[in-house]
Amino acid sequence: MSKNALVILLVAACALLPLVLQLLGQRQVYWLFVVSELFILAIVAVSLDLLMGRSGQISLGHSGFVALGAYSSAILNERFGVDLFVGALAGGSLAALASLVLGFPATRLRGHYLGIVTLGFGIAVDQIALKWDALTGGDQGIHLHKPVLLGLDVATPVRMYYVALVALVVVVLLVWRLTGTRVGRAFAAIKDSEVAAAAMGVPVARTKVLAFICSAFLAGIAGGIYAFLAGFVAPEDFGIDSSLLYFAMVIIGGMGSIPGAIGGAVVVDAVKNAAATVSGLSLAILGGMIVLVVLFFPGGLKALLRRHPAARTSVAERRSVAVAQDA
Amino acid sequence: MTLYLLQICLAGLAQGSLFALAALGLVVIFNASTVVNFAHGAMGMAATYVAYVLITSFQVPFALAFAGAIVAAFVLGVVVQKFLLGRLQGAPVLTQIVVTLGLFMFLEGILGLAFGYNPRPMAAPITMGPVTLGGLVLRPQDVVQLGVLLVLCVALAALFGATKVGLGMRAITENPYAARLMGIPVGRVLAMAWGIGVLLAAVAAMLAAPTTSITPNMMDTIVVYAFVAAILGGFGSLIGALIGGLVLGVVVNLIAAFLAPELAMSIVFGLLLLVLYVKPDGLFGRAMVQKV
Amino acid sequence: MLEAHHVTVRFGGLVAVSDLDLVVPDRGVFALVGPNGAGKTTLINALSRVCPVAEGTIRLDGTDILGLLPHQAVRAGIARSFQRAELFPTLTVLENLLVGLHAQMTTGLEGALMTPATRAEEKAARSRAERLLRELDLWELRNASPADLPYGHQKLLDVARALISEPKLLLLDEPFAGLTDAESPRLLACIAAAGKRCAVLMIEHHFELLEGIAERMTVMNFGRKIAEGTPAQVRADPEVVRCYLGTGRAKVAEAATC
Repeated sequence: MSKNALVILLVAACALLPLVLQLLGQRQVYWLFVVSELFILAIVAVSLDLLMGRSGQISLGHSGFVALGAYSSAILNERFGVDLFVGALAGGSLAALASLVLGFPATRLRGHYLGIVTLGFGIAVDQIALKWDALTGGDQGIHLHKPVLLGLDVATPVRMYYVALVALVVVVLLVWRLTGTRVGRAFAAIKDSEVAAAAMGVPVARTKVLAFICSAFLAGIAGGIYAFLAGFVAPEDFGIDSSLLYFAMVIIGGMGSIPGAIGGAVVVDAVKNAAATVSGLSLAILGGMIVLVVLFFPGGLKALLRRHPAARTSVAERRSVAVAQDA
Repeated sequence: MTLYLLQICLAGLAQGSLFALAALGLVVIFNASTVVNFAHGAMGMAATYVAYVLITSFQVPFALAFAGAIVAAFVLGVVVQKFLLGRLQGAPVLTQIVVTLGLFMFLEGILGLAFGYNPRPMAAPITMGPVTLGGLVLRPQDVVQLGVLLVLCVALAALFGATKVGLGMRAITENPYAARLMGIPVGRVLAMAWGIGVLLAAVAAMLAAPTTSITPNMMDTIVVYAFVAAILGGFGSLIGALIGGLVLGVVVNLIAAFLAPELAMSIVFGLLLLVLYVKPDGLFGRAMVQKV
Repeated sequence: MLEAHHVTVRFGGLVAVSDLDLVVPDRGVFALVGPNGAGKTTLINALSRVCPVAEGTIRLDGTDILGLLPHQAVRAGIARSFQRAELFPTLTVLENLLVGLHAQMTTGLEGALMTPATRAEEKAARSRAERLLRELDLWELRNASPADLPYGHQKLLDVARALISEPKLLLLDEPFAGLTDAESPRLLACIAAAGKRCAVLMIEHHFELLEGIAERMTVMNFGRKIAEGTPAQVRADPEVVRCYLGTGRAKVAEAATC
């Protein structure tokens, strides 16, 4: 089965999930929420992978962008009643703007400095959200009105589920298309060799900032949608713990791969939900997994999946090509 | 007013000594192995749990427990270097960041599992009350913190200046390949550097413990400021880390007193961003040139 | 035509290139030779604007290029290869070449939407890349990762990546370094062909290789030009013989006084 067929099958399966749940009589509301949240996490993972895996930058504070998106949606909705579409777009735009501020110094910073600065960004957004209670409601948070999308009432779990699913599919399509064109190639080029990229005409600093902007925009949109999904935003939804979760998703899933990022999101979310009641357990498991991945499975899930039949064509193609060369 | 200001500066220096200690540890590790140890605070925190167990379960006196903690920290540093980072020699920066971050998560999680997130108190064996000197209130713990910093700085200076091990570390920083050719046991020196680095983090943690109580995330704030201090110092200069830590302590306390304590870290990062925009290698850093 | 006059490049106290004059005509293969540390790569770096020039002028077809940033060099018509290939292992062979066309393409983020303009531009770029890959007999490998290629092919790809932008000046930094005797002919043919279309300035150590392909050589030592001319002329130059080529063990001792 080709890769494309597999993807279509997966999307179809996701689309049918609400029906399946209904037939099985399971706690539909609960599971729909969990999977919707997973879709949104997957969007964040894809956005972070675009920045880290594809473009070779670092973001240890990605929750900052998600928070900006979520709070934009929440504030605009609570005060002006904006719908999901406008809220999410506003969220993405604000996050993208913030990334500009972060992006410029980023172009001058090497690895760990960038990591620490982005860490600080995540912390700062969290602290400001907590402190600026006139705008953000402080630790009380903000409650949103019932979600509406372009005139359509999407206030039910099933409808929000499809909103999240469609958003994920759209984001994946956009990012996948981008990586196959000029800008996506430029991202990979600056990651692999800045010097060579510059020699080819890629404006390295500007491209780094662009990577930040794209990644932040998508993360902000995810946050914007999440606000409507949960109906409530508060600082505790974001912060270092979330940033570390996103980070884990990308590492465990395998960097530089969209399916990897989504797979990583599934794993991390599963661990988080399964271990939710025991404090420290999910952190310990995820931390341990990260260390193991780095030491023994450097490609993450993506590399393990390479052994899968659907992926075999590309691997075989490569091997046969290399063999033909040696002949 | 000036007295108030001086009081804040004093408190700032005392707190800054913790930042400086942690930052010194970070820089020692970085100088020898070019790795930024994102698990630094967590490793120091783990050592305080060792002391806690020694005190509560084995009735060990504080001084011995302190010693036990720093020995445990040293061992932890060596073990992490030998079995974790050692395998990743030559890996890209991102990989090293990832592994130490994973370690950070693992340590916090495991200790949270083992001991829970409720703060465990650690009483400092200081019976003396605060002393007033010329209008300034001196708390014994502040004096101890600064004193310990001073002592360790002298020890570090002696180590790097005079001992074979210290010189070995400096050689490795300059040129690991040549150091190996000269017969310097690079593996052993790296392990020592990590041991010493984590030891310094543990000292900072133990000094902080009486105030913050022991929790899995007790060092999170301190280590974040330690990163900033190390960066300001150029992440290579020990003196830079020392000054950076102390100055940062004062700055943080000034912000807390005159602006808003909850925004201290945000403001510090804003300032850091400005500093790095102008001087991307830190205030004292040397630029790293890429050879093509 | 490249005209570099009185070029001096300094790194702190070290003078890597000192008062160097170099003129390279519109077409042909020209060699830059000299012992290690002579400043050849630094000169190439200066010409491709990777490193700053302390003194002197450099003009390409009359236009001053010293004000250019590294990523603007290719737009001015200067492309280069690297001593260590510096390929993009994340991308396929074909995609590596497409990056070489980055400066000539305009698709931005709208590429995510796959607009008709994007599609057209991609198609045109890919057919250009296909033509070049077929010329170099690399078409079968177009979907491979450069990391999987034998070293000779990697160096060839590196040169191809510079060639695809159809530069006026092609700078090659030791393209034959590390190649086996079996791999060299292909690269040689590629460079010779390129020399008919544009100016090629290549750094190389293998004198024998150069004698067949280079029409003129410039010899550098300690940052200065010590000789220039056809390979035959240079080979006979006493200064070059003394410092670089040598004629036996006794001469090596004498060369130590360079």
